[in-house]
Amino acid sequence: MGTLPKGFDHLSDLLPEWAFATENARSEKRWASTPRQFQVFYDAMMPELDRILALLAKYQAQGAPEDVANLFRLTMAFAEAAPHTEMYANSNSVPNSFDARRVVAAHGERAE
Amino acid sequence: MDTVAPPWSQTVGDEGRWPLGADPLDTAPMISPELFEIERKRVFGRVWLKVGRVHEIPTPGDYKVKRLDVARTSAILVRGKDGAIRAFHNICPHRGNKVIPEDGNETFGRARANVLSCRFHGWVFNTDGPIRAIPREANFGAIDKACLGLRPIHCDIWEGFIFVCLDETPRQTLTEYLGEIGTHFAGYPYGEATTSFRYSSVLNCNWRVALYAFTEGYHVPTIHAGTFPSLATLEQTSFRLFGPHSTSTLYVPPVEGVKPTPATAAFGGVLRSSDLHGPHLDKLPAEINPTRRSDFQFEFPTFFPNFLLHLGAGNGYPGIAFFTHQFWPLSYNRTLWEGTNYFRPPRNLAERVAIAHINALHRNGWSEDTSTMENSQEALESGVLPQMVLMDEELMIRNTHVNLQCCMDTP
Repeated sequence: MGTLPKGFDHLSDLLPEWAFATENARSEKRWASTPRQFQVFYDAMMPELDRILALLAKYQAQGAPEDVANLFRLTMAFAEAAPHTEMYANSNSVPNSFDARRVVAAHGERAE
Repeated sequence: MDTVAPPWSQTVGDEGRWPLGADPLDTAPMISPELFEIERKRVFGRVWLKVGRVHEIPTPGDYKVKRLDVARTSAILVRGKDGAIRAFHNICPHRGNKVIPEDGNETFGRARANVLSCRFHGWVFNTDGPIRAIPREANFGAIDKACLGLRPIHCDIWEGFIFVCLDETPRQTLTEYLGEIGTHFAGYPYGEATTSFRYSSVLNCNWRVALYAFTEGYHVPTIHAGTFPSLATLEQTSFRLFGPHSTSTLYVPPVEGVKPTPATAAFGGVLRSSDLHGPHLDKLPAEINPTRRSDFQFEFPTFFPNFLLHLGAGNGYPGIAFFTHQFWPLSYNRTLWEGTNYFRPPRNLAERVAIAHINALHRNGWSEDTSTMENSQEALESGVLPQMVLMDEELMIRNTHVNLQCCMDTP
């Protein structure tokens, strides 16, 4: 299992489930998630978000050490998953929307 | 170049709404294969079409191949050794093979040693077009190599946006074609926003059904109640008609008690408080949001016929400098939609995740927009609704529709 920076160890259980390198992989995870999984993720991440953002702000956009890169990938997942809890009642799709699987992200396979 | 004034410059007024009348619009062009063929040739075969941004091919030798199904061709956009960007049909003048194999709607690559070579028989072209080498040339007998370069497409650049015109003799230069909308939108530092997220999908609807849905603000309080409840007070105003092009401005007066959700407040806060990504209304062109209202969302135009450039200046959706939509007809009832968000490049990991959040919210909003289109097409194809009525804030639809008809009526 990957490691996280000191002070964020308690989030490391979330890494295997949520931390992926590409937008396409994160989308697959969101589309397959249950309401409970969204809520557990949200409840773990939201109280820490300000602290996480303060830490990530100290690292340049590229080339962070592995533990910070893990936290970054976890937060990328949260950036995309949070609206499901905050606005879509933990549904894995946007209500009344076009099928997200039919939308192609040109950058979708690019590792971040 | 000799230019001929196009029909629209004489017919459609610039004075505002009512010169265009208030008659219902015919829906036939959205469901008729025959009318689509006319539109394909007389509109898309003649106008200037946006096909890229200069930063996509930054160094000499870089190319982008853009499929243009509407014209049954693909354009190679390539930056030459001299730094200039040129456009060519992606066809070998020998026997018609594609010079560059395509792996989708947009294909990117690099011409080594500033040459492009066709893999069929090894013909080699300079990146500025002329043929450089033909294997076993002597065996062709007498051929005129001056006629065997890559077939050029008229290409020009406005504010870093690459446009092509597929007409052999364009009726207007790009500057003439854009006219006042070109000056209305000029001067914003578009070139600084090089971090982009492009989404596309093939929609089973006529391209106008898709375009029209993205060119009025009337739908916002209903369609976006899920993702953008704060937009319920949206105000669409400052309509301007610039010949076939048009624009308007979207403002969202704040509503007491409506706040961003906690995650959006945190991620958006990173961008709003940033000197780089924060609102920079002062950089807007003078005529856009001239009083610099802080509740400015974005400028909301139609660049005739199929390009939307929504200029936000970091306001509204936090951090988004601008975003674009484009609608490419594939057939009378199939459309390639492309939506792209442009940000200034993030400097640190917090800015990267914040940008990812805003980009995702916006992407999700677009999936609400696109949700109605195929239903609309199916229903329209019943023929039950030969005409549609429009309200004031659907003015840009009317302007586009009238000008498309004008082009289609011009032999």
